[in-house]
Amino acid sequence: MSEQVIHFTVNGARQERRVATHRRLIDVLRDDLGLTGTKEGCSVGVCGACSVLVDGEVISSCLLPATYADGTSITTVEGLASDGELTPLQDAFITEGGFQCGICTPGQLITASALLAAHPRPSDEQIDEWMMSNLCRCTGYHGIRRAIHKAAAV
Amino acid sequence: MSGFAYHEPATWSAAQDLLRAEPDAMVLAGGTAFTLLLRQGLIRPTTVISLRRVSGADGILADSHGGLWIGAMVTHTAVVRSPIVRASWPEFADAAARVATLRVRNQATIGGSVAHADPASDVPVMLAALDAQVIVRKPNAAPRVPIDEVLVDTFTTSLAPGELIESVQIAGRGPNTRAAYLKFTLRSVDDYATVSVAARAEVVDGTVRAPRIFLGAVGARPMRARSVEAALADGARSRDFADAAALVRSDVDPITDVRGSAEYKREMARVFTERALRALVS
Amino acid sequence: MKLSHRASVAAPAERVWAVVMNVPTAAKCMPGVAAVDPLGPDRFKGSLLVQIGPVRLVLDGEVVIVSRDDAARKASLKAEAKDTRLGGTVRATIDVALSEGPSGCEMRIDGDVQIAGRIGEFGQPVIQRKSEQLLAQFAQCLGRTAAA
Repeated sequence: MSEQVIHFTVNGARQERRVATHRRLIDVLRDDLGLTGTKEGCSVGVCGACSVLVDGEVISSCLLPATYADGTSITTVEGLASDGELTPLQDAFITEGGFQCGICTPGQLITASALLAAHPRPSDEQIDEWMMSNLCRCTGYHGIRRAIHKAAAV
Repeated sequence: MSGFAYHEPATWSAAQDLLRAEPDAMVLAGGTAFTLLLRQGLIRPTTVISLRRVSGADGILADSHGGLWIGAMVTHTAVVRSPIVRASWPEFADAAARVATLRVRNQATIGGSVAHADPASDVPVMLAALDAQVIVRKPNAAPRVPIDEVLVDTFTTSLAPGELIESVQIAGRGPNTRAAYLKFTLRSVDDYATVSVAARAEVVDGTVRAPRIFLGAVGARPMRARSVEAALADGARSRDFADAAALVRSDVDPITDVRGSAEYKREMARVFTERALRALVS
Repeated sequence: MKLSHRASVAAPAERVWAVVMNVPTAAKCMPGVAAVDPLGPDRFKGSLLVQIGPVRLVLDGEVVIVSRDDAARKASLKAEAKDTRLGGTVRATIDVALSEGPSGCEMRIDGDVQIAGRIGEFGQPVIQRKSEQLLAQFAQCLGRTAAA
């Protein structure tokens, strides 16, 4: 009785999973589905490293009960590229120095993807507003901003 | 940590039936505060009832007078983006936009925020200034309760076991009604407020009347700035604001913590109350 | 965490002192106290239930009167309790002092509370506020009991 069957889509693939009710979405993604691209940084929803898209919205997977994935369509960083082709955003992160150690990068890409979906040609202010809660200790954020502008220009 | 029995009732009455059967059950809205408390080991629920599938709980409606009806399961993001909210009370949308991060706003709900009653959170303080009414679902009634009667103490509402928050209502504004929400954060924009001020008043030609002012993060609940309101009651102008704002020091009861000493917070309460008054007339 | 409470009680200091030093009677004034049983001359065990929103603590522990000066009406107590549900410890030293006041007596309660483990996760501000609330209710009730 302390387990729940959930149905959801991850990166386009349908999933049916029986999960213990106390678990979080990040637990299911990393431990059950092996999608370790999503990182657990702070565990309290502040750093953004665990960002995923749930029905197109950016969510901290460390804060979402796994049961809340039922009926949703989830995109993790692994689901951005298609058939091995990186998205213009991912390419831009490489060419514009949008990452160094890489730990925050999956979260940055997820949030930036949502930003570009909502605002295809974002201003600096829009970029800062959207990206401000994906923390990066390495880059100083300028590379991230450049990468987003470059991807927007494509 | 272990699992708990989990339910997703499809209607309010199904949720109430479940609560009657399991009075110790925890009720879940967006799940942000719940997940944090669970992970910290501070709660050990045996039964959890989620409201995420309750039909109609996430609606936003306006009445013919510009009043708003906001369902308990409406997310902060939905409020921020809602043209209905923006048409009636854009200041409320602005307050919701100040909460935490984009991700928390996408998940956390208005009803959950009221039920959680964190004195440092933004939405309850703003709702108090706007004199919002909470529709409380009781076993056989659904009365409207003024929100400042619902928010009684730190993490404590007036709701009895088995009662649920169904929605909040904000009455429509008059042609001269102004409102403002000011949030003072020390360390980062997405932090809890060190002090916040929510204000509503009638403003005509730079004269403030009938102010309603609440402060967040400086007491066990949103604190009403009664001394300030009294000083402004007869119609106050900009030159009166500094003296009136200084009275807020006796209306607040802050605690020394990582965000500052009690004395510092009292002083910031004064500063931001004055700024809020100026924002109302600007 | 330091706590402090001052209260004026409309009862003679002698009566208030008698109530305060009768630990099982005084304990009934603490909201959430379940049972207080003597373990020895100045030693008691008891249970305290504290609720902060959705969080319930059940603190099981002991209170010891470490020193008392009946003439000066001063006492020092030590309390130690464990939370059986969540896992955590509370240790407190509490100093009580009574003095003659204008309409009865003045009561001073000063405490130093150390919190370890899970309970500490709640954050100092919340714990402090709750502790001060409990202390205020405790002092008010002591006063009423003594004045009755």
